[in-house]
Amino acid sequence: MKLRRRQRERLSLWLQYLAFIAIIAVVIFAADWGRLREAFFRVDIIESMFPTIITVALRNTILYTLGAFAFGLVFGTVLALMRLSRVAPYRWVATAYIELFRGLPALLVLFLVGYGIPIAFPEREIPGGVFGSIAIGLGLTAAAYMAETIRAGIQAVPKGQMEAARTLGMSHFTAMRTIVIPQAFRVVIPPLTNELILLTKDSSLAYVLGVTAQTIEVTKFGRDTLNDRVNATPLLVAGFAYLVLTLPLSQVVRRLELRYAKAR
Amino acid sequence: MTFQSAVRKAGLIMAIAALAVSAGCAKKDEGEVQAGGVKLIEKGKLTVCTHLPYAPFQSKDASGKVIGFDVDVMDLVAKELGVEQTIVDTPFEGIKSGQDLNTGKCDAAAAGMTITEERQKVMNFSDPYFDATQAMLVKTGKSYKSLDDLKGKKLGVQAATTGRDYARKFEAEKGLKLVEFEDLAALQQALANGQIEAAINDLPVWTEYIKEHPGGFDVAAEFDTGEQYGFSVKKDGNPELLKKINEVLAKAKQDGTYDKIYEKWIGKLPNA
Repeated sequence: MKLRRRQRERLSLWLQYLAFIAIIAVVIFAADWGRLREAFFRVDIIESMFPTIITVALRNTILYTLGAFAFGLVFGTVLALMRLSRVAPYRWVATAYIELFRGLPALLVLFLVGYGIPIAFPEREIPGGVFGSIAIGLGLTAAAYMAETIRAGIQAVPKGQMEAARTLGMSHFTAMRTIVIPQAFRVVIPPLTNELILLTKDSSLAYVLGVTAQTIEVTKFGRDTLNDRVNATPLLVAGFAYLVLTLPLSQVVRRLELRYAKAR
Repeated sequence: MTFQSAVRKAGLIMAIAALAVSAGCAKKDEGEVQAGGVKLIEKGKLTVCTHLPYAPFQSKDASGKVIGFDVDVMDLVAKELGVEQTIVDTPFEGIKSGQDLNTGKCDAAAAGMTITEERQKVMNFSDPYFDATQAMLVKTGKSYKSLDDLKGKKLGVQAATTGRDYARKFEAEKGLKLVEFEDLAALQQALANGQIEAAINDLPVWTEYIKEHPGGFDVAAEFDTGEQYGFSVKKDGNPELLKKINEVLAKAKQDGTYDKIYEKWIGKLPNA
């Protein structure tokens, strides 16, 4: 039987679908769903986690994330400007910082902030307690990433903008602040939102600092409930709690990227 | 061969490969490796799960070797089976939830672990091998004598431990502010830093810590909770190993080996 080209194409496509379905079917039928449900989907445990997971845990996750993001954004912008500075030592310091903190695990930085600062300055406290430590601890790492993103954004603004602003008599700083940086941020909002998504998940590292019932965040809450109930269901619930935050954020990124593509 | 037929073949091959792989994923039968009538997950090895550090029961010495009370006792079991003990350091949650044993990560768990009803639901415990009490450690010079003195103060506990559960019970009643730490070392550091006012954990752990930091810390209170430590194996999964552990424990208690280990790690025997 000789098939025409179209038919052959369609047949091969169907075979691929079949292969795909076969793979999924194997996974579905081979898995032990009864035991999986018993281990990961106990409705009574799910119910017991509400509303605390929202009112305390998710709220803290959001707070920690925003704190670290705000710290990282401000500090990252400063670093980006230093990287682009005409003053050579500024450039060296910023480059060294970025390379160092991009290379260190966030967990380590957080631990150093949480335990190192109290040792170094026994009479002082990081303002805001756990929140402050996390904002700084995670923000230090985030700043290194954000600095590179923001630097790329600033460099993407055409040189003529700065030149025109200077011609109008603006100082370098004013031109930077009012002309270049606002345009740069339009470019970097999508990648910065990605950073926000990453930080949402990094906020789970808060556990290294020691958490109280008031400062608990989603992952630790899940693990705690796992301990109390000796069942893995809480971890699944915690995972969904993150999706509630990160999925809308991904949508925002997509929208912003589209809008930016149109505006160009 | 045309392009389309190549794609078609690729699709078919993929389907077959996927089926083959999924069939090949099947775990080899348990009980394949035996030693002295006991099945082990790895040949010639008694794999033991623990969470480090938990001196004097298990901790690393200067050379990185894991040593301690539990290690010595499990070594007796390994010797009896004619195998070597290997130790896996894993989060305590995995141990106490029974998952490390269920998933075949370890043959047994030896982690200074208290026998509790909850835990007995997910694993089988050996006979008790150690009587533990909970104790509260404070920095030398602090005047806290009981949980009542800690109203509104920060009390550190270690995640997933019985000490944490004990403190939890009194959290509301005594107005405690519980701070939960992942590791014993983090808990100790937080106490040393003054991030918490007191810390609760098993007494032998604090005794060991005071020994290493003389003059810095005091046990302010002891709570006799009637706790006993046990080793554990997979729930209904390895009765032979459990039997062997109990035999070794009984023998060691009889011939004085247990006392020797006790004196080496803990100090003088109670009521001795």
